[in-house]
Amino acid sequence: MTTGSVTGARRSGVRLDQQKLVLALLLAVVSILVLGPVLVLIRASFAPAESMPLETLEFTLKNYVQLLQSPRTLSLIWNTVVYALSSMAIGVAIATAIAWCTERTDMPGRILVRILMFAWMMVPALVVGFGWILLLNPGNGALNVMFRELFGFARPLLTIYTFWSLIVVTAFAVVPTAFVMISSLLRNMDPNLEQAARVHGGNAWATLTRVTLPLLTPGLFSIGIYMFMAVVQAFDLPLIIGLSADVPVLSTRVYLLSSPDNGLPNYGLASAFGVLLLVVAAGLMWAYMRATRLGERFRVVTGKAFRPKRIKLGRWRFAALGFTFGYCAVMMLPLLILLWVSLQPSYSTPSLSALGGLSLDIYRRLLANPMISRAVLNTVILVVSSATIVMVVSSLIGWFTVRSNSKAGKILDALSFLPMAIPPIVLVLAILLLYLNTPLYGTIWILVLGHVTIYIAFGVRTMSSALIQIHKELGDAALISGASWLTSLRKVVFPLVWPQILNGWLWVFAHSARDLTVPLMLMSTGNLVAASTLWNLWQFPDLPGAAALAILLMVALLVVVVPSQLYVARRLER
Amino acid sequence: MLVIENLVKSYPGQHGQDEVQALRDVSFKVDEGAIFTLLGPSGCGKTTTLQCIAGLENPDSGAIRMGDRAVFSSRESVLVPANRRELGMVFQSYAIWPHMSVFDNVAFPLVHGVKRVPSREVRPRVQKALEMVELGHLADRPAPLLSGGQQQRVALARALAHEPRLLLLDEPLSNLDAKLRDTMRTEIRSLVKSLGITTIFVTHDQVEAIGMSDQIVLMKAGKIVQQGSPRDIYLKPNSVFTADFMGRSNLLPGVLENGGATARAQTAIGPVSGIAGSELAPGEQVMVVVRPQAIVIAPDTDPAQGSNRFKARVDAMTFLGDVVETEVETGGRKLTLMLDPYTSLVVGQKLILELPPERCVIVPAAKPPSGRNPQ
Repeated sequence: MTTGSVTGARRSGVRLDQQKLVLALLLAVVSILVLGPVLVLIRASFAPAESMPLETLEFTLKNYVQLLQSPRTLSLIWNTVVYALSSMAIGVAIATAIAWCTERTDMPGRILVRILMFAWMMVPALVVGFGWILLLNPGNGALNVMFRELFGFARPLLTIYTFWSLIVVTAFAVVPTAFVMISSLLRNMDPNLEQAARVHGGNAWATLTRVTLPLLTPGLFSIGIYMFMAVVQAFDLPLIIGLSADVPVLSTRVYLLSSPDNGLPNYGLASAFGVLLLVVAAGLMWAYMRATRLGERFRVVTGKAFRPKRIKLGRWRFAALGFTFGYCAVMMLPLLILLWVSLQPSYSTPSLSALGGLSLDIYRRLLANPMISRAVLNTVILVVSSATIVMVVSSLIGWFTVRSNSKAGKILDALSFLPMAIPPIVLVLAILLLYLNTPLYGTIWILVLGHVTIYIAFGVRTMSSALIQIHKELGDAALISGASWLTSLRKVVFPLVWPQILNGWLWVFAHSARDLTVPLMLMSTGNLVAASTLWNLWQFPDLPGAAALAILLMVALLVVVVPSQLYVARRLER
Repeated sequence: MLVIENLVKSYPGQHGQDEVQALRDVSFKVDEGAIFTLLGPSGCGKTTTLQCIAGLENPDSGAIRMGDRAVFSSRESVLVPANRRELGMVFQSYAIWPHMSVFDNVAFPLVHGVKRVPSREVRPRVQKALEMVELGHLADRPAPLLSGGQQQRVALARALAHEPRLLLLDEPLSNLDAKLRDTMRTEIRSLVKSLGITTIFVTHDQVEAIGMSDQIVLMKAGKIVQQGSPRDIYLKPNSVFTADFMGRSNLLPGVLENGGATARAQTAIGPVSGIAGSELAPGEQVMVVVRPQAIVIAPDTDPAQGSNRFKARVDAMTFLGDVVETEVETGGRKLTLMLDPYTSLVVGQKLILELPPERCVIVPAAKPPSGRNPQ
């Protein structure tokens, strides 16, 4: 039966090709997505300012010379560092306090706090920023007007257009994410370590300062770096608050150079700034990886959930409650003012007399507008395709990073992680440069491309940590049963991790819907989505319209994401 | 049925360590319908060999033939992937898919495999396979609701449902408790024997291997040490390693005086006659292997001297229930005996031991693996 071996050999080619083909395809896709834009960005930073990077052969250092000679560069970097460091420090401090209260004390309302925090993670920063502007702008900010009328202040109480307001608003916005990270850190810490301190005579304060905090330090440190990095890359709040406050940071500078209000875009200088921001972010990424590895060494996290003894707060519980729900109340204000404005046919500050004028007219007008329905349709296309493409590609890449020892697998892993270190604004600039003269530009698909590139690193992390928990023999058993490699993935491996796939899908879905960077930088009449339309309405200005759209976007996100996440969380716990 | 020729496999060293030689030139032949066991301590290459047969690992060189078809051959550059080899396999973890029912698990090879069957045949075939393992009544149960023993049976049913050419068992009994293990061992053996399917069984437990197999290959550090029937391997070890691995034995170092069928070695307790391999030449350093059960207590009336008879004194006795582990001293050496629980011997008593020559095996001397004391 020599023919048997011959057909066998030929068939072996088929299977190897199945796996090799997918690997080659993934490598090609990730290279185009990640390497292409980065190389074009670097090329553009060496191109003369007035030409497109792909249309010239000239190399010049002019952009970097200009960047280094300009006195504004130093102030930009200074602004960015001060902004990121202060927001991070305030945000992490508030988050640590609230997380400690909900995880380690008997403060009432702990579950409510957790639910609120998870819900706020879904609220676009843009929406919160608009809310704060409506509350605190110096002319007719609702809080300022109220104080003026009540106490007869001549000057506004607080004004949103200052550096400090930007810092505080950003700090408040990073609290929910930091809270989720820190509470899982606290939850995984062995309470025996704390109990040992109590048994050996330490009082509550000594236990907190001498045992709990030092043990948490490595974890808090890496969370701090992560948050710092997130603020350095932030774009929406610096755009809507920072520019009016005259505090440009690196990300808004890149935006202004590539989409100036008047004059031609200076892609060369924008790219040079982009490369600078890229280097800063990559350095932070490196520091973050070092810090988390250091954290592993101190690891007191044993993987199983503990049920720690909660500290009895006694009279202090009112302080804890006041602090926690004070924060929650402050976070509600911008959303409430948006709701108020969206229910007023024409903009007016909150008052009892205006209560009678509430109506849903704005929502009716908004939904009747064909431009809005177009934007809604575009948003649905954008978020559903981005989330789906990211999770399909990440699941496959995740399999290769976990199961394949080949060099190609390692390259794939590294390439897909790279976008983590590229600030979105820089990546979008690079995508703009690469695709400006292609038919893709100006369509909704260029936005999909941007979001897929930005979120792929998250997707791959999620899927490889999910797949590593699936016993290798489960997949092998399918192969031995005669199933092809793709069938084994489709029928056995991926169905086993579907809660994690769905979780990742929801994360990308929500982040794609709330992102302004990509839709704004690549905006054209054909690819307006909810976030960019919101920006346009705000700039127009149609404040009630913008507020109504913001409320709609937020409600849609909460309605889709929160119940699904609760469902997935329950599935994962089983 | 299955022929393995000169398999070599190495893994690249990790963290700057040297490359690991998992298989160094492994060859053997498996007869149609036999239960063939790969036995050895962890890291000996038995699992790697099985993975190569399964197609889950690819050897560096050599050949694997099933029937007259090569599924792997480095020389002819043939490589048949795992899913085309028409195998059945029971994994150490059972690998029962938790998101499917028992029925779907067993039906998988019939529905998604290479040898697909028409859909109306799937149900009766699955039912037949489940009844074979006495689980016919559990077809619709979700897989996570099975006990360990039931999972094992489902894994067996899944491995047999598509009538594979070869059944591979990767330490299938190691996750079961001791009592269930004995039952399953007998059941698996009688099932595969009644089906007549060729079976490759991997284990590190010599009791399992002896109870299950027609043939055993004992491996160590990527090489085959000895191949033979369970009886041969247990009673006629060819090395200190085999003797030590297969069960307890008394090892007496010595020098070979004459070889062949009437071999004799000079040891600390005196000359001992026994069976020696033909490769041993007089004057070589050897080890005499005597199983504790091999030693006989000679009647008092017999003269003390004579072939393989030695004066001894009881040093210690441990009552273990089904046997009494007895330590005796003779010629300055300690020997272990297993006596029946009704023995009248007491500590301190003098006696005469007889080591029947056909029960004494003379093997080349080698350092016994330190720190190991297999039962």
